[in-house]
Amino acid sequence: MMTRHEQEKKLKQTFGIEMFYDDQWETIDRILKGERVLLIEKTGFGKSLCFQYPATVLQGTTVIFSPLIALMRDQVKKLNSLGISAKCINSEQTPEENTQIIADAKNGKVKILYIAPERQENSEWIEAAREMNLSMVVIDEAHCISVWGHDFRPAFRRIINLVKLLPSGLPVLATTATATKKVETDVASQIGGNISVLRGNLLRENFKLYVVKVTTEDEKLIWLGQHLDKLEGTGILYTGTRVDTEIYSKWFEHLKLSTIGYNAGLDTDSRIAIENGLMSNKWKCVISTNALGMGIDKPDIRFIIHTQIPQSPIHYYQEIGRAGRDGKPSNIILFYNPEDRKLPEAFIEGGRPSISKYEKVLNATRNELLGEKELMRKTNLKQTQLRVIKSDLIEQGIIREITDGRSKKFEYITNAPALNTKAFEELRNNKKADWEQMIRYVETSQSRMKFLCDFLGDSTTHNFTNCDNTGLNKITVTPNDQWQQKLQDFREDYFPNLAVEARGSNIVNGVAASYYGFSNVGTALHRSKYETKEDFPDFLLKLFLKAYHKKFGQEKFDFIAYVPPTSSGDLVKNFATKLSQVLRIPITHDLVKTRQTKEQKVFENGYLKSDNVSGAFTFNNPDSVAGKSILLVDDIFDSGATIKELGKLFTTFGAIKIAPIVIARTVGGDIV
Amino acid sequence: MLLPEPLEETSYKMKNEAAYWIALAHLPRWGYGKINSLIVKFFHDEKITIEDFFNLPESVWSCKYQLDLKEISDLQNAKSELPNNAFFAENLLSQGYELIPITSPEYSKTLKQNLKAAHSPALLYVKGNKQILHEKSIAIVGSRAAEGKSLEFTDNIAKLASKDFKVVVSGFAKGVDKQALDSAIKYKGQSIIVLPQGITTFNSGFKTYYKQIVDGDVLVLSTFHPKAVWSAGLAMARNPIIYALADEIFVAESSEKGGTWSGVIDGLKKGRKIFVREAEPNEKNANTLLIQKGAIAVDNNGIENSNATYSEQSISTPLVHESLVSLENVNERILKVFNGRPLSAKEILDKAGLDWTTKKLTTLLQRMEDIQTVKKGRTNQFILKANQVDQPTLFG
Repeated sequence: MMTRHEQEKKLKQTFGIEMFYDDQWETIDRILKGERVLLIEKTGFGKSLCFQYPATVLQGTTVIFSPLIALMRDQVKKLNSLGISAKCINSEQTPEENTQIIADAKNGKVKILYIAPERQENSEWIEAAREMNLSMVVIDEAHCISVWGHDFRPAFRRIINLVKLLPSGLPVLATTATATKKVETDVASQIGGNISVLRGNLLRENFKLYVVKVTTEDEKLIWLGQHLDKLEGTGILYTGTRVDTEIYSKWFEHLKLSTIGYNAGLDTDSRIAIENGLMSNKWKCVISTNALGMGIDKPDIRFIIHTQIPQSPIHYYQEIGRAGRDGKPSNIILFYNPEDRKLPEAFIEGGRPSISKYEKVLNATRNELLGEKELMRKTNLKQTQLRVIKSDLIEQGIIREITDGRSKKFEYITNAPALNTKAFEELRNNKKADWEQMIRYVETSQSRMKFLCDFLGDSTTHNFTNCDNTGLNKITVTPNDQWQQKLQDFREDYFPNLAVEARGSNIVNGVAASYYGFSNVGTALHRSKYETKEDFPDFLLKLFLKAYHKKFGQEKFDFIAYVPPTSSGDLVKNFATKLSQVLRIPITHDLVKTRQTKEQKVFENGYLKSDNVSGAFTFNNPDSVAGKSILLVDDIFDSGATIKELGKLFTTFGAIKIAPIVIARTVGGDIV
Repeated sequence: MLLPEPLEETSYKMKNEAAYWIALAHLPRWGYGKINSLIVKFFHDEKITIEDFFNLPESVWSCKYQLDLKEISDLQNAKSELPNNAFFAENLLSQGYELIPITSPEYSKTLKQNLKAAHSPALLYVKGNKQILHEKSIAIVGSRAAEGKSLEFTDNIAKLASKDFKVVVSGFAKGVDKQALDSAIKYKGQSIIVLPQGITTFNSGFKTYYKQIVDGDVLVLSTFHPKAVWSAGLAMARNPIIYALADEIFVAESSEKGGTWSGVIDGLKKGRKIFVREAEPNEKNANTLLIQKGAIAVDNNGIENSNATYSEQSISTPLVHESLVSLENVNERILKVFNGRPLSAKEILDKAGLDWTTKKLTTLLQRMEDIQTVKKGRTNQFILKANQVDQPTLFG
């Protein structure tokens, strides 16, 4: 076996790096002896070298399971530039590209192979893995293994099962930057096999930690409007929801600040473009849900701002950990409005569906082998809820996910144990306790860095002076009339998009006058529909007309059609009639139902909503539609199933354009 | 915690050993006998795990385990594929297949007793209710082309067995096999399907019997490599497993060649008690021939036909009521009396506390696979065959 000195010579040749840190060497030495190691080190420590270097020394291919596509791409690029043959297999590449890489790996042409944990479900990969010469297995972001962590991912379950089956003597390295003692113990025991745990210190002295207490959403928007451009360098703004991401981006756009919005729903090309733009400081700030940034190797993220308080200190530490890897000062700002507690608290309290919903799933799986879609139809559950239930039932060994050809099915396990609801209580209590600690972080008058280190089980006696409790000035917000007016102007000029375009339909993306819960729109709609039964108030019509003029003002329509009601009478008809008079576009009453439908809101998921309205409408005067442009009016847009169905109907009758417009668009979780 | 009830330590450990078991069980051109004698050495004699065994240096393989160069090279090849097996095993386990090595308490004792070290598969692949492996069981076998009387018989026997909480073992072929399975399900009984193929190639079957598997009424079992596709050879190799998993064997219909025929002949040779449906005079099958060769004639309800004149069997019992299990108990009692030296039939009778005639015992002893006859002057004496002596734990 080579000495450290000899290994460092090789390191210099291959990576151009002079020497290992002691902690790195300790890890690498163990890996080269065929041991299992859990390495907990802060972002920027150089964890990747701890597997990349041994991978180049060992015979065969090293497989790295990583949940972060951006990181894979980034590391592969770097390794290739060093002349090391590294590849990644992921869902962003075409199947042909992935197949080629798998073939190369089988033929020993790939030294380092990055793959997403989900790939373990892919039969092509499993077949290839049977033929590859494996030298080491690495689990990156290993905290995802633990349900006690901040980012438990069910796909890691199979990776753990795999690791348990690997022969002794094959090195296994698990790495993470964020693990409490509880997560550390859990991960180490799951990996097993005499694993040794190496933990570095987690403090980040270059952070400047601020908490900004506000009392309204407006104060956040205004402070950011005033100060974003004055912050040093470029950075990331994290919002709590996708809708907020959109609102903040539009607000900055309105102020002509250089920013861009990012979320996990974007297509691959847009995501890559934004990630690249972030790397090259194209914008002052990227606004994102927490989907962005994990694993992005940018050393000089100068600020990270949260407009929504995260669920626990560990979530927070993980997200701010992406700033200032270069060790230079970086601003870490957390906005806190007591109102913001609602989102995490709702998530913790309502995070689990009712037991009766679990039973629905159990009964369905006991009788038939079903996929997710079939289960949603059988149980009338939301996809998100069904996924929580599925994950819990799998965790408890009651059902298992199997692959049936190309699709995933859920199989009830013979002699399965009964549902253990105590486990849910325990998890919820654990989350509650973490959440209370997050509030304590906001309220503390002591060092914020010390607070985070203590929480992570990294006890330190270091004397910190890097937060607004220990030497830095507190940030306060001072709204004024001028800024209030700017905000008002923005609100009246901002209308949510309805993305409904689909192949084979002449429907175009539409517009809503407002989000349901934004200002008083939802309340007004609800009152008319369910209390007074009187026409929608005029301010809604005014707002609606603004949205119309902004989105469709330049376009010509032959007539207005409105969605026939299920139970709320003539409210939409009357509203559309007024609209027709103002816009001087003829209205048609020929759009009717061919059968009774149920109110869409009784259906929890899109499949059943589509089933409910599919084929439920017709147009009494079909010949009059050919070659026409139609403005399609409704009150509330939820899943969009009805609007899409009508788009298809008018398309079959020959309409050339169907443009939907509604009063309000719901946001997931709105009670309409 | 969210983990399921902690697994019994042994079964948990064996699960983690899956990659090693796959490596050992599918060593190319190593027969079951050779593999099992190695398992006996490390597991029973040396009391080490399969993982420890694979980690031994070649010198120990050669000295202590007396493996030759070819065998060592086979083992080294198998060892180098362990990481690949781990990927393969993870996939199998995640799909709900389970592996039962011969050292596991979950392994069928009936199978082990019937096949002994020479013929027991080192590894079983199963899906479904493993508990079924430890219930009393019957096999119903017969031709793929069977109809009428034979299927009626099959249905009857399956009904009686199900009533009696006995598991019906069958081979998932057309004809009698399929009838045996369907009838067992119809009468709410339990079944073992013994596959003539690898367990991962039975997808449509798992769909068809989904509910029965979930409810714990069906276990699917294969002894072949999980990816092996059906072949006539595997179908033949599967037959002895069916016979060996059952305490009692019923033959609905056999022709004079083919799987059923050779299976029964093989079973008779091994001293199994096999019940054959007594054919009517006009039937064109080889049932009568089997009865002449030593199988026991039974009527449509599985009751032994007392008028059968061609039966050479002296031990006659009404079937579904007193089963082979009692005979197996006698076998066990007999095997236990040996302590290394040859014994006469009389000595064995005394030691085992049996009130049989020496003639009856001698007949049985001569049929028992584990017993060797040795001449001592003018009388016959009996002794355990050499390879049986050192495996009381695995094949006792």
